[in-house]
Amino acid sequence: MLQASGGCTCHTDVEGGGAPLAGGRPMQTPFGVWYTTNITPDRETGIGAWSDADFLRAMREGRAPDGSAYFPTFPYTSFTGMTDDDLLALKAYLFSLPPERKENRPPDAWPPFSWRISAWAWQLAFFRPERFEPDPAKSASWNRGAYLSTAVAHCGECHTPRNLAGALDRSRWMAGSEDGPEGELAPNITPHDDTGIGRWTTTDLVWFLQTASKPDGDDSTGLMKEVIEEGYTHVPAADLEAIAEYFESLPPIENQLMADDDAEDDGEDEDAP
Amino acid sequence: MRTSSIWKAALAGAALLHVAATAHAQGEAKVDEGALKYRQSLMEAVGGDMAALTNILKYGLTVPGAAQVHAEGLASHAKLTTVAFERKVTAGPTDAEPAIWEKPDEFAQSVQKFEAETAKLVDVAKNGDLAALGAQVKATGKSCGSCHDSFRKPKEESFKRKGGGS
Repeated sequence: MLQASGGCTCHTDVEGGGAPLAGGRPMQTPFGVWYTTNITPDRETGIGAWSDADFLRAMREGRAPDGSAYFPTFPYTSFTGMTDDDLLALKAYLFSLPPERKENRPPDAWPPFSWRISAWAWQLAFFRPERFEPDPAKSASWNRGAYLSTAVAHCGECHTPRNLAGALDRSRWMAGSEDGPEGELAPNITPHDDTGIGRWTTTDLVWFLQTASKPDGDDSTGLMKEVIEEGYTHVPAADLEAIAEYFESLPPIENQLMADDDAEDDGEDEDAP
Repeated sequence: MRTSSIWKAALAGAALLHVAATAHAQGEAKVDEGALKYRQSLMEAVGGDMAALTNILKYGLTVPGAAQVHAEGLASHAKLTTVAFERKVTAGPTDAEPAIWEKPDEFAQSVQKFEAETAKLVDVAKNGDLAALGAQVKATGKSCGSCHDSFRKPKEESFKRKGGGS
């Protein structure tokens, strides 16, 4: 389960040399920088003292054991769709790992975004805890793929653009985002031929999730490479095929992402008067 | 009369200088453009061989000798990487990070790793063992990735979007 969710690599501060899953990795958002939390079973600084109910509530309702609301940088907005069994399997696995003592770091953001009460208001406006409901009209493998992609692997959290309030724009589901985590661009992964991954075959997509190697021979970099290496590469092929089936069924959305250019590499402007 | 012709000569000289300087600048711009296009086509060739090898593995293709040809292609292209990035061009439709020229030792190390992995790939491809080939293609891909992480802009393929490539 941990691997299907991308290895939870956001909770490992790779660049800062942090211990696995002990948190502290910066997540850049348009509202400020949030630091991921310690999810090792340390009783004081991690989640070691959490009950099953605490864990389920955090993952499904975005609430801490003390009842306060989490900011949506923590993708409970996706995990809310997961089943009890899968969530508790994930908890059991996390609790089997060595605890690491490391205090969580508060966000570097301006008020009011830094206030916990804002997270509560945000949830009120944009979030409704909701289990994944299988679509009886679709195949079992499609439903498996949809469940894995939307709830567990939480693809949409990076690959779907967000509105001004930082909520996912579901009308442009998986159409890519220029403000991905860590300030990187998250590509359009709808099956649009020119701007998405419409020309990828099922085999291409499964292979990519296993090896981080794209059909054009290029390699994946950044967070995607990490979630493949720590996560998806360990997921059974049948599940990856189900994920491919789900993505191939999405409405293709034309969305050519334009990364911000540094002023210095705007070569074309030389021709301007 | 005399003074005015001196002025004329000076003006003509200045104009000539200006034309020469402009021509020189245009010449330099063209060299930059060529360097940029060349290194992009080199990287595309590398990508092409990687894609071919990946397709052999993905689909379990049995094209006699193919793996070796593509491995050798990669190894020879790898050896051109250093010279292809010798000229510093950071303006224009490019994803190259200025770090290539700011941290030349680190860049050289990355390229050496790429050369070493592709050389190993040639040996593995000669043996014809698909599992070993898979592992070495992955190792090669990692050498591409670690260099790209440090020296290529993460904004995916933006040079293509700007019309610089295919």
